[in-house]
Amino acid sequence: MQEFDVLVVGAGAAGLRAAIAAKQAGAAVALLTKVHPLRTNTGLAQGGINAPLGADDSPEAYAGDILQAGDGLCDPGVVQAFTQQAGDAVMWLEHMGVPFNRGADGRFDRRQFGSNGKARSLYVDDRTGHVVMQVLYEQFQRARIPLFADWFVTSLAIDSARCVGVTALGLRSGVLDSFGARAVILATGGFTRLFMPSTVSIGTTGDGQNLAYQAGIALKDLEMVQFHPLVFPGGNALMITEAVLAEGAQVVTAEGQPIANLIGATRDKICIAILQALQNGASGVALDLTPIGAQKLHSRFSQTNELIRNFTGLDPAKDPIPIRPVAHRPIGGIEVNVSGQTAMHGLYAAGECACTGLNGAGRLAGNILTEAVVFGARAGEAAAAYAKSAPPKAFPADRLEEEKKRLEALVSAGKSEDTAGHIHGELGRLMSESAGAVREGSALQAARGRIHALKERYAQLRVRNESAIYNYELVAYLELGAMLNLAEALVVAADARNESRGAHRRSDHPARDDRNGLCHSVVTLVQGAPQADTKPVVAL
Amino acid sequence: MQATFNVYRKEPGPNSKPGRSTYSVEVAADATVMDALLKIRDEQDPALGFRGSCLRGYCGDCTVRVNGKAAFACTAKVAALAKKGPAEISVEPIRNMPVVKDLIQDWDAFLWNKIDATKPWLEPNGSTADGEQRIPDTVMAKVRKAMSCFYCGLCDEGCTVLPVDFNFLGPAALTKASRFTWDPRDHAVRERLQILERPKGMWDCVHCFEASEHCPREIAPTERIMEMRDEAFKYGITNEKVARHHLSFAASVKRSGWLDEGRLAIESEGLTNFKGLMKLLPTAVKAITRGKAPIPYLHHKREGSEKITRIIEKAEANKEK
Repeated sequence: MQEFDVLVVGAGAAGLRAAIAAKQAGAAVALLTKVHPLRTNTGLAQGGINAPLGADDSPEAYAGDILQAGDGLCDPGVVQAFTQQAGDAVMWLEHMGVPFNRGADGRFDRRQFGSNGKARSLYVDDRTGHVVMQVLYEQFQRARIPLFADWFVTSLAIDSARCVGVTALGLRSGVLDSFGARAVILATGGFTRLFMPSTVSIGTTGDGQNLAYQAGIALKDLEMVQFHPLVFPGGNALMITEAVLAEGAQVVTAEGQPIANLIGATRDKICIAILQALQNGASGVALDLTPIGAQKLHSRFSQTNELIRNFTGLDPAKDPIPIRPVAHRPIGGIEVNVSGQTAMHGLYAAGECACTGLNGAGRLAGNILTEAVVFGARAGEAAAAYAKSAPPKAFPADRLEEEKKRLEALVSAGKSEDTAGHIHGELGRLMSESAGAVREGSALQAARGRIHALKERYAQLRVRNESAIYNYELVAYLELGAMLNLAEALVVAADARNESRGAHRRSDHPARDDRNGLCHSVVTLVQGAPQADTKPVVAL
Repeated sequence: MQATFNVYRKEPGPNSKPGRSTYSVEVAADATVMDALLKIRDEQDPALGFRGSCLRGYCGDCTVRVNGKAAFACTAKVAALAKKGPAEISVEPIRNMPVVKDLIQDWDAFLWNKIDATKPWLEPNGSTADGEQRIPDTVMAKVRKAMSCFYCGLCDEGCTVLPVDFNFLGPAALTKASRFTWDPRDHAVRERLQILERPKGMWDCVHCFEASEHCPREIAPTERIMEMRDEAFKYGITNEKVARHHLSFAASVKRSGWLDEGRLAIESEGLTNFKGLMKLLPTAVKAITRGKAPIPYLHHKREGSEKITRIIEKAEANKEK
């Protein structure tokens, strides 16, 4: 067993930022991740990172736009704390080496991105996430924090309602080991791989949310899932940044009719406009990038240009790219306060796996990276402070043995007709159909029944690969378990919200219902079953 | 559509022998090699080892050789391969990287540890309270270009030095390090160049330009390495043999209009490098006994050498401007 003050799980932007902050606060930190820091889903973020740094901008103006996009469910105290820190957090990135695009005066150039009322998205061409991820990893290396890459966390170690570490499987060694810690920070990213198609990486499977959920912690606003409107739906689906809209790209029907008024609209509104056009008889919807021009496509959107060519085989300088709304990022997740603290002592969460209440029912475009660095740092500092003050507690003596036995029982050689891939495929299609951009009560209830059936099949499933080293079948099996649990909780939350608000659209309840709907949803695991409840939006 | 794959296999450990497995699999018309591998692992062979993350060609995790050519499994289309290539689609590990299991290769040894050895982080100037540093976008654009690298490994797989010396840092790690050289916000450029000039570093590149040929993002690693060497000269960092060789070469031509080969050999080794100089002795003796070197060894200026000196001086003055 290894012991640290603070353990971070997950190596995307939030996890790296949390680890650096905890180390700077004097804690002995280590980071565990199933995928190398330079391969995480943070690289998906393209268009920009918000910070109210312009002379015409202010934290208050930024807060106003967040509240607008959140459609009544943002916690104003969290919004205030966040918007006041955002500028410094992004300026820190600049000083650590993010080469943000500059204007003619050598100062930051800023994009007006999505429904932001100001040009406040700093950007690095069209690969902001990819570059922010590299700079965070550089500073992580500078801090000399031990990295356990290719390690999969299989369980939290909990003793007397306090998190005291994790058990994790070293994929390369094949060894299950225990990691003791005074505080654990979950920063495992989103879960939208439980939809098919989705925009996310293969490992975006909600591992951290599931660990917290199994430990009895509430998942908040889970029904709020952001669908991205500009996604080529073929294969694993390819997202195209909304920043192209501000540069002249147009959404058009297959019949060549432009869909108007999308610039400055929130993502959910663009999604609805596209679905509306399809419902009104359009045979398809496409993104026309030709107004941007071949030269600007190459200089300003070089990654977009390259990915579209390689992935779709189409030429964005000539061809319209077929698009439709596809599941992108969750807005809800592990319920935490503004410092990333969960309801359990010693357990923290940050980034996409957490829900602070900042975004309410809809996330402003360009917020995800800012959230990762603001709340990552806050969680790192809070966890380090807790680790300093918390009395020492031993790792439960039999925890590792129990976990070993649990995993061994999953493995059994032999053939079976059913597979994790089949169950995952069925789950993904079911979720896209029944819990997609527009939902309906009876379909959600039916989906719950079908998820239950999939869970029963999952319980019968065994891992056939007995080899310990790089057993990715076992990893995929454990990931699927997390996705099934989260899908069930999501459907329960979506069924309970009988209104349309922000990212949550119900065809059977098309209007916003402020009498009953101005509250967060929370889903908790009670005796093995998800239980939905509500919590008030915390006023200032 | 039905497609057949012939996949490289190897069990972990130094003593296992590599082999191949053949799989026939039904995939969608727009399926990628990654889709096929995932389906094979799920339905036919749960032990098949391979990596993958983003699934769309932006993360570099799934680089393999498909039909003998380095490619990303997540963007290589099965239909196109089946149409153009042989009946069985071959999938193998990329070159120059040790195999851990099947298609899972040792990125730690191949790239991550090498990057780690180059002080791959910015030592920031100034304080965040001063706001952003005013920097021309042309300068930032150069940094952005280097950082568009997604660590796919194609430059290292094309490198001609790595097959002979695996401990060479390689074009990917060197390109990563070059990113700081152009960044005015960093104050560790000198220290980093001193690390990079050590053996196995930037002077071990033989500028065959394969790295630049292989880079899918046109980052041109070979050119980046050349530029870093120039930068090292500016800082007076010239302790490496190849750097001294460059300096002696240029000085000789400037001085005499042509190459003083004896002096070049001695200056490249270094005048105080007794061990290195002793190694030259047998070559010198052989050259003398076979009449390849005149006795006594005297280097003469060539005719019109003062013109050559003037040309070089003028070029140097222009460069300083």
